[in-house]
Amino acid sequence: MANYLYLSITPEALIASMLAPEEFGNYFAVGTKKRTRGQAMFFELDIDKMPDDFPKNEIENKCVPHADNTPKRSVYLSIYRALEYVPLKAIKNLFLVTDDGRVLSLEQDEYKEEDGNSLHLYQELCPVTPRIATRYNPSNFMKYVTNTSQPVSVPKLFFVELKLDELAVDPLKGNVNDLPYPNIDHLRDCLIGIQEKPAKATKTVIRTFYGELNFRTCKNGFFIGDKENILYYPFPSFEELNTKYYVWWRSALTIGLR
Amino acid sequence: MISGLFWIVPVGAISALFFAYYFFRQMMKESEGEDTMKKIAQYVREGAMAYLKQQYKIVLVFFLIITVIFSFLAYVLEVQNGWVPFAFITGGFFSGLAGFFGMKTATYAAARTANAARKSLNGGLRIAFRSGAVMGLVVVGLGLLDISLWFIILNAWYPLSLTDGHNMVIITTTMLTFGMGASAQALFARVGGGIFTKAADVGGDLVGKVEAGIPEDDPRNPATIADNVGDNVGDVAGMGADLYESYCGSILATAALGASAFLETPLLQFKAVIAPMLIAAVGIILSIIGVFFVRASEQADQKQLLKALSRSINISSVLIVIASFIIIQVLELDNGIGIWGAIVVGLITGIVIGKATEYYTSASYKPTQSIAESSKTGPATVIISGLGVGMMSTAVPVIAVVIGIILSYLFAAGFDFNNTGFGLYGIGIAAVGMLSTLGLTLATDAYGPIADNAGGNAEMSGLGPEVRKRTDALDSLGNTTAATGKGFAIGSAALTALALLASYVEELKIGLLRIGQDIMDLGNGIVIEMQKATLKDFMNYYDVNLMNPKVLIGVFIGAMMSFIFCGLTMNAVGRAAQKMVDEVRRQFREIPGILEGKAEPDYAECVAISTKGAQVEMVLPSALAVLVPVFMGIVFGVPGVMGLLVGSLGTGFVLAVFMANSGGAWDNAKKYVEEGHYGGKGSASHKATVIGDTVGDPFKDTSGPSLNILIKLMSMVAIVMSGLTVAFSIL
Repeated sequence: MANYLYLSITPEALIASMLAPEEFGNYFAVGTKKRTRGQAMFFELDIDKMPDDFPKNEIENKCVPHADNTPKRSVYLSIYRALEYVPLKAIKNLFLVTDDGRVLSLEQDEYKEEDGNSLHLYQELCPVTPRIATRYNPSNFMKYVTNTSQPVSVPKLFFVELKLDELAVDPLKGNVNDLPYPNIDHLRDCLIGIQEKPAKATKTVIRTFYGELNFRTCKNGFFIGDKENILYYPFPSFEELNTKYYVWWRSALTIGLR
Repeated sequence: MISGLFWIVPVGAISALFFAYYFFRQMMKESEGEDTMKKIAQYVREGAMAYLKQQYKIVLVFFLIITVIFSFLAYVLEVQNGWVPFAFITGGFFSGLAGFFGMKTATYAAARTANAARKSLNGGLRIAFRSGAVMGLVVVGLGLLDISLWFIILNAWYPLSLTDGHNMVIITTTMLTFGMGASAQALFARVGGGIFTKAADVGGDLVGKVEAGIPEDDPRNPATIADNVGDNVGDVAGMGADLYESYCGSILATAALGASAFLETPLLQFKAVIAPMLIAAVGIILSIIGVFFVRASEQADQKQLLKALSRSINISSVLIVIASFIIIQVLELDNGIGIWGAIVVGLITGIVIGKATEYYTSASYKPTQSIAESSKTGPATVIISGLGVGMMSTAVPVIAVVIGIILSYLFAAGFDFNNTGFGLYGIGIAAVGMLSTLGLTLATDAYGPIADNAGGNAEMSGLGPEVRKRTDALDSLGNTTAATGKGFAIGSAALTALALLASYVEELKIGLLRIGQDIMDLGNGIVIEMQKATLKDFMNYYDVNLMNPKVLIGVFIGAMMSFIFCGLTMNAVGRAAQKMVDEVRRQFREIPGILEGKAEPDYAECVAISTKGAQVEMVLPSALAVLVPVFMGIVFGVPGVMGLLVGSLGTGFVLAVFMANSGGAWDNAKKYVEEGHYGGKGSASHKATVIGDTVGDPFKDTSGPSLNILIKLMSMVAIVMSGLTVAFSIL
């Protein structure tokens, strides 16, 4: 049985496992007894591209089958500043797991900058989790947040761009019918503030993100990077979701009342 | 003395059964699709049949007990017609048979509809609708066949003559009692089916969607098959039995009222008795024609699909107006135009109620949109606005029925309020007019669960997006027709119950004659022959007026019954759903690999839990519906029973409209939000409307529809027990 290394985003952790990504995602979401559930996001990592000080032997020692020959499901290697520690070159596919354990694998692709002056909404997912309204496009936002010369910054960031629909160009009167965000008036205020004050580039919409990401609000995809590099994981189109990834998509659209 | 015209009635009945068989065979020739589709269809079929088998076992025990009681009353105490035990059994048997055929067809049709939808939308529509028509035609066919057979048998036993109309009164009042068999069967089908379907739906959703985050119609949810079975049990067998009973009840009550109204002119009396049967028979032929008009283009959208169904209903309605005019002219009844006017009034009343239901429950109109809008402030306001909309929605159906009653009464009575006999006959025949094309309207109703199950099958079998889009369109259409059908069922139940109330008095006359009382002493030296006593004489004789406390007591008890009945059925759903939740949790825990899709859940156990829950929970409300009228009759006599029936009809009708429309509106408000309003799927508004929909589930599918049966069954019990009431009432 092979060993895998994962960077979990929720919660931030480095985890070794004998489960392949699909199985690990299912296990991670619903557990072994199926008495729990919860959305999960994680990256598969290339063990060979991890830093030299990474304790590879610890994986080999601890990540071994159980006495009944069932695979070891998880060995936590780190639960603090894990993202910061992982080099971007070691990051492979991103896996999005729904509440009930359906797994969608996203591959890296090149990000093409959008033209125009529309506004953006980003949900930071790791290591901090505010929701930010801004005029920066994804790569500029990444540079802005990871600029360690600034007092408020992080060395690496993982975030997703969220849909704003008509609010992206008309925050005052834009239609919000299909946007499931809470406190939409506050969101409008933040966007209007950015639009009206050129000196103000970002506004915090929500200080800390609770709960789970509503996947249908993903605009174009997920971004992970530092001040120099950015990796982009495009989210499938609506048509692809309804055809190629329908089983995952249906599950992603199911809401819970917890 | 059965004239040639009568034979149109059995011919109509047999035509219905013939075409039902033809549509069934046509449907069976279609393929069920791939192995997965077949397997899912087989699960649903087995579950549905297991439920029916269990229900029929309990119904059999109930029928045996009641038959023994009826036999005792008829042959030992001699306070009841000797035919009642047999008529009771046949009514129940034919109703049960209609439910069995309807369910069987529906469960065979779902996968075939999904498979046909892979090729075209019209193909799916055709199979689903014609399979629904099997239910519609079986209901009207068996109903009219039962009526025809009893009419022929009793005619041989009590020969009709051109000089004396009393035998016709005996025949029609005896036939009326078979309605109790149909009512009792309908009660079990509606209450049991309603509890089953919502226990599976709510229970499955609570643990599947809310706890485990599993989408609807996902094969990993152990309650999924039970949910699909529930659609058939509630909306096919339950609705079929409900309308079977209204259909037969309206024809039989009208016949009984006709026999009384035309007592002095036996030839006209005969014609008045067979008029509702003839209209029903011709209605069957027109329904069959209407079925062939249902088709849609491949690119049809939701509106065009609805148009395809509406077109066939409209054509049949226009044709029945013309045909009933011809029938009334051929019969040469007194005030034929007025009676025809009453028929048209009934039809229009049905259409108005259907349209009002659509207005209050469809997301295309303001009331439902206002509920969706209230979700912006959370679930509490969704519940409040849903209750408000439901309450407001009672106005149009009640006013429509009120206007229908007064117009049909006045038309048939020649605008003479004192012509009570003709007036009440008019109300009865208005109900017959409303239900004349039941074969078709019930087809649009039974189509709903077939399309819904087809969607479930497509989802579980992983069919492509194009197929899912088509089955979704068919399903969505089914939701609209189901809401309209519920309004129609409630409206017809109200008119039928009113006709039954009038027929009750006819039964009293027979009951008094049976115990040897052939004169009626009205006091002040006024004594009249029982045979010649009018409805008003009976009201005076029994002191049925609002100053009599026994009447008022009855009214209060009747009003209370509707609420108690709803409370019992609502709580029953809650308890049965809880058992379902426990079972689904157990399976997730104990069967490894369910959530990974590697192991198959134990679907049969969930079906068994819903079945058992439904059977246990339906006993108390059913027993109350039967025992309370008997108790009221024995303790408070005729005034108490009349009060009870008026109280239950008044509150039951309004409460049923309120509950069905609130539930329908909550359901569609949720769908409206899901379409991308007020935040769409996953928003706080969505969660609020999901809560509203869950609350509304037992409203619209259990308690609301069950009230139709309650008001009719209590009338039927009163009618059948009238002999006991007049012989043994204490006060």
